[in-house]
Amino acid sequence: MDFTLTEEQRMIYEYGNRIAERFDHAYWRTYAEKAELPQELFQQLAEDGFLGLMVPEEYGGSGLGMMEMLLLIEGLANNGVPLLNLVVGPTMTMGLLAKHGSEEVKRRFLPPGCRGELKYCFAITEPNAGSNTMEITTYARPDGKGGFLLSGQKVFITDADVADYALVVTRTKPRQEVQKKTDGFTLFMVDLKQKGVSKTLIPIAFPLPETQWQLFFDDVPLSRDDVVGEVDAGFRILFDTLNPERITLAGLCAGIGRFALKRAVEYANERRVFNNTPIGAYQGIQHPLAIAHTEIELASLMARKAAWVFDEVLPAGEYSNMAKYAAAEAAIHAVDHTIQCFGGNGFTKEYGVYDLYGLVRLLRTAPINREMILNYLAEHVLGLPRSY
Amino acid sequence: MKILVPVKRVVDYNVKIRVKPDGSGVDTANVKMSMNPFDEIAVEEAIRLKEAGVASEVVAVSCGVAQCQETLRAAMAMGADRGILVQTDVELQPLAVAKLLKAVVEKEQPGLVIAGKQAIDDDANQTGQMLAALLGWPQATFASKVVVTDGKLTVTREVDGGLETLELPLPAVITTDLRLNEPRFATLPNIMKAKKKPIDTLTPEALGVDVTPRLATLKVEEPPKRKAGVMVGSVDELIEKLRNEAKVI
Ligand SMILES: Cc1cc2nc3c(=O)[nH]c(=O)nc-3n(C[C@H](O)[C@H](O)[C@H](O)COP(=O)(O)OP(=O)(O)OC[C@H]3O[C@@H](n4cnc5c(N)ncnc54)[C@H](O)[C@@H]3O)c2cc1C
Ligand SMILES: Cc1cc2nc3c(=O)[nH]c(=O)nc-3n(C[C@H](O)[C@H](O)[C@H](O)COP(=O)(O)OP(=O)(O)OC[C@H]3O[C@@H](n4cnc5c(N)ncnc54)[C@H](O)[C@@H]3O)c2cc1C
Repeated sequence: MDFTLTEEQRMIYEYGNRIAERFDHAYWRTYAEKAELPQELFQQLAEDGFLGLMVPEEYGGSGLGMMEMLLLIEGLANNGVPLLNLVVGPTMTMGLLAKHGSEEVKRRFLPPGCRGELKYCFAITEPNAGSNTMEITTYARPDGKGGFLLSGQKVFITDADVADYALVVTRTKPRQEVQKKTDGFTLFMVDLKQKGVSKTLIPIAFPLPETQWQLFFDDVPLSRDDVVGEVDAGFRILFDTLNPERITLAGLCAGIGRFALKRAVEYANERRVFNNTPIGAYQGIQHPLAIAHTEIELASLMARKAAWVFDEVLPAGEYSNMAKYAAAEAAIHAVDHTIQCFGGNGFTKEYGVYDLYGLVRLLRTAPINREMILNYLAEHVLGLPRSY
Repeated sequence: MKILVPVKRVVDYNVKIRVKPDGSGVDTANVKMSMNPFDEIAVEEAIRLKEAGVASEVVAVSCGVAQCQETLRAAMAMGADRGILVQTDVELQPLAVAKLLKAVVEKEQPGLVIAGKQAIDDDANQTGQMLAALLGWPQATFASKVVVTDGKLTVTREVDGGLETLELPLPAVITTDLRLNEPRFATLPNIMKAKKKPIDTLTPEALGVDVTPRLATLKVEEPPKRKAGVMVGSVDELIEKLRNEAKVI
């Protein structure tokens, strides 16, 4: 066993430090407050070849894996630049296409995706199917000419405004018509500029550059060429996008947690309240920070294990879930203690530490909430009975 | 033309420097190390000269511990073609580095050496000058613009009074100032190529250079804490204070 990163991995991990010299946390925050995609940063990532990190070289990418994508996203977040954008597009959509797309799908979507010319988002959640994916009702019915007509509604779709296409999880057989509840799922690349697609904004209560949308599909025509994987057998490949989502978001949480702790330590070393002693000398301040640091590093390690397992094509659910659970909790603790350490300044716009709280708190609930992770671990890993 | 770029591994500029409790030096255990920023500018300039067709090969060289390989990889990820590590655990002082570089220059025969004007750890600002002197080559330090035409070098340099332009024959030594260029980020394809680029490892002994330190470090201390500033009410008051309190005008 060897915990050292390769030279290549180290440079990918440290890319975030470099790029933060030009696009730092203050830059990210400006766009987060405007709820607007930081276009120049995205362009820089495209030019530097990072969008195609998980895409094989023959489709314009670099042919690297989950581990490197985790390191990239975590490395950026370490510098206070957390990008959900890299999760929904380059990781979830392009990663899945690279793994399971037909030759035609790969040729169509991957090269322009690597160049940043086409952007992608991922749509699974529905108003009545968040935690319970089995209940999705977005339906692609046969159009009688070998194609499909898509109808239904998705909610909370990140980046649906900037994205050109969404990878949409649908049913091609209604639940009541299939024997196994996991049968009858199909994944499609849906052109969001197409007739029959409309959307409305869901304003989010904390600063975030990526915006969330409700998507409505009204008889949107799709062809067999738009299918990713196999018709009716989409569920089999679904976790090759959901596990990467959990792994990268675990890294993102670890990164934000580290960034917050760095700020807390700086502040606690300087701020003197009683007898000219820095507040960082009080164990009431230092121990929570030390605990948060421990939790973050543990979660980060688990994310790397999950990424390794995924890259080895071994079952990654258990590790991805544990990493995402642990990282979100660790990041929440880290940011919360950072806020505490800043006293009243923790709540001001000027110091900006409270800003980080919304995002890490979100990641306890999304993309899969803490309870569903614990259910999974309890039932599938520990072997306890199901209550719901 | 081949360009040689010396790159130094230093404590990252973001790290808050801590003096060892015994005053023997600066704490570098578990501290993030990076390429000296002025050397990044040097690498960038060399790559630009290669991209412009002026140079044919960019060779990065680093002197020091085995981990200097990381610094070389970073240079190669920016676009340097290969690396040379002169490996030693001995503390290297500017004169020793200049001698090592001279030996590497004799071996490699570059047409140009581009170094950083100083390293952000000891800020000595000596190596480039010493190297030029040892080689008997012309030098242009603190370059803010470099142009190569017909085997001649035109360098604009930042001096106290403004800008000075020098014309030098090649081969020559240049040292870079901050405003020469803005170094690029290593792109992912270049990071991946970097691992396939070769690094030659040499030693001071093999180069016939004695690197024994000539200077002894007596004690390293934190600089005195800066006192809090004062707000002055007017320009007149400022002038009065500068004249009578600070006694600088
Ligand atoms: C900012 C943001 C971005 C998002 N981006 C995307 C995106 O890009 N694409 C996408 O498809 N979706 C996205 N989502 C949706 C997200 O994945 C869902 O909100 C999440 O899965 C939770 O589903 P829900 O909101 O329907 O909650 P519900 O399913 O209604 O659950 C509510 C709560 O009930 C509890 N609960 C539910 N079931 C159980 C159980 N069996 N046992 C114990 N407790 C339970 C949990 O505490 C849960 O938090 C996003 C959401 C947000 C807020
Ligand atoms: C929205 C808002 C409204 C407010 N309204 C008012 C108001 O109406 N009137 C008013 O007068 N004030 C008000 N305040 C100020 C508020 O009461 C102070 O911010 C609070 O008392 C903390 O003081 P501080 O910010 O100076 O934090 P600091 O004193 O700098 O403390 C920072 C942190 O250090 C730690 N710490 C400090 N000392 C110790 C110790 N001895 N042992 C262990 N840990 C320690 C604590 O964790 C603390 O959170 C308000 C603040 C905010 C943010």
